[in-house]
Amino acid sequence: MSFEEIEHTADRAFRVKGRDLGDLLVNAARAMHALEGVRFAEGKSGTLDLEVDGIDAESLLVNWLNEILYLEQKHQLVCGNFQSYELSGYRVRARVQTHQRSNYQADIKAVTFHNLKIHKTPEGLEAEVVVDV
Amino acid sequence: MLSKQNFIRASEYVWEIPQTFRRDMRVPARLYADEELLDAALTDNSLPQLVNTATLPGVIGHAIAMPDIHQGYGFPIGGVVASRLPGGVISPGGVGYDINCGVRLLASTAQVDEIRPYLETIASTIYANCPSGVGSHGHLRFSNTELDRVLHQGSRWMLENGRASPDDLERTEEFGRISRADAAFVSERAHERGQNQLGTLGAGNHFIEVDKVAEVYEQAVASRLGIFAGNVAVQIHCGSRGLGHQICQDFVSRYQKTVRDYGISLPDRELVCAPFDSREGQEYFHAMACAANFAFANRQLLAHLIRQSFDHVLAGKIKGQELRQVYDIAHNMAKIEEHEIEGRTVRVCVHRKGSTRAFGPGSSVLPNDLRDLGQPVLIPGSMGTASYVLMGTREAMRRTFGSTCHGAGRLMSRAKARKLIRGTELRDQLRSRGILICAESMSGLAEEAPQAYKDVSRVVEVVHKLGISTRIARLEPIAVIKG
Repeated sequence: MSFEEIEHTADRAFRVKGRDLGDLLVNAARAMHALEGVRFAEGKSGTLDLEVDGIDAESLLVNWLNEILYLEQKHQLVCGNFQSYELSGYRVRARVQTHQRSNYQADIKAVTFHNLKIHKTPEGLEAEVVVDV
Repeated sequence: MLSKQNFIRASEYVWEIPQTFRRDMRVPARLYADEELLDAALTDNSLPQLVNTATLPGVIGHAIAMPDIHQGYGFPIGGVVASRLPGGVISPGGVGYDINCGVRLLASTAQVDEIRPYLETIASTIYANCPSGVGSHGHLRFSNTELDRVLHQGSRWMLENGRASPDDLERTEEFGRISRADAAFVSERAHERGQNQLGTLGAGNHFIEVDKVAEVYEQAVASRLGIFAGNVAVQIHCGSRGLGHQICQDFVSRYQKTVRDYGISLPDRELVCAPFDSREGQEYFHAMACAANFAFANRQLLAHLIRQSFDHVLAGKIKGQELRQVYDIAHNMAKIEEHEIEGRTVRVCVHRKGSTRAFGPGSSVLPNDLRDLGQPVLIPGSMGTASYVLMGTREAMRRTFGSTCHGAGRLMSRAKARKLIRGTELRDQLRSRGILICAESMSGLAEEAPQAYKDVSRVVEVVHKLGISTRIARLEPIAVIKG
């Protein structure tokens, strides 16, 4: 399992794993969608280009997730298929597929830096992310 | 790890963590609670978060937690932290993403018995007129120029545009407008997110609730507030929507570097801050004030839509029914205030995150007709339980930078609540108790179940007995419109 929801009293949180930073970013985006209860609608899809940077790996992770939230709210759609990305230092460029959404249960206000630390593990990287709902 | 042994019990409801608990604490931390509420606070990460706030540069007095404290991110929810000026800091995380999340209370001139036959229609009309739920959009769309007027004027914009009365503004914290707002410091993205969200409730724990005034404790004070036993009242709980979330996000992200530039070392990156008088600190303060004004305007527009809903349903049925504003309070805000500390007047930046200003009698910031009483304080309970109207006190000025609690406080995680409680069953249970529920999401309803919260009456009893606010009236829900 690349991510799982963890307990948080007032907000929502998830633990996410990845082979490397790029994989962690992809899995964190999926985890966020799982918390939101997002479902893709059938039909037309498009693409969007994202470019996000940070001053370190943690800020890149937060900025990446917040960018996805912003774009999804702005365009009223869901981003998917995050695999097509280029990572250079703490900057990521990605082309994502976009879909209409058929279901959307929870509103995430923002992704926070609360106690955020990306840890190295024998399998790669791991982080716990708290989001404000 | 914190345990009960780390606290000094200063009195029945005062628990102190001495500054010696951790080397980076600049002041002691203090929790106002009874022993059961302390035990509840020890079950999550809220008290370590409280200790973290005692490390902020310029923090003065104590880092304070109210009896409804629970785990947040960075700052705990239910916290009050004041930073001495000049030299102190302002922290966007100390306000939170929902800047000026707050509560408005309207009191009806009609009795519940008069309204009961029309209650279902009133609730469904409010639900239709006040957009709620995930990603909701309002009926108005603003250009950036017009939106900037709202950001600068707050509820005053609503007055000028026929959606507020002078009495509404008089009975709003800061009279519905924070004067230091400057939209030049609000990002394009925040503008974009705010353009179509005025007059929307949002999701999460936000709600509109139709209540019965179940009990009045202080008759003379309640009647001056327009509150009478057996009458209908309406609460609105919401904030600055996507505009406020984006402003907080913009500055939390930017301040990750700012703290390095100013050599500020913190135990949690969500606590990032800037010296209040610095360019960065001032820019956040101006932007935060814009979001606060947006939230005042948002609750004002919702109040207008609710009045229209009542008028529409009750036309020709109940003569002269009116919804008069009792008060509107913020419970996520940073304010510049003066407080007496050890006999000296000190200027401070007070962060209230999940706590309510509770100024006592005589305060010059209160409306003339309430100055001898103090500030009304609105404490919403969890869905299906009581809510309270309190008054601020001089004791709050002495102990808590003029602050008190803000609600019941969560006890159970959202994930656990969804696992244990079925939204449809909860809706039916509440209905069998005479409480109508209008909600888009049944899982969202389950997350807000009364079992997920502490007992609001217990929380209120602590602040009442401590004397940091006084019980005036208790409200009980008869219809809930959930975001």
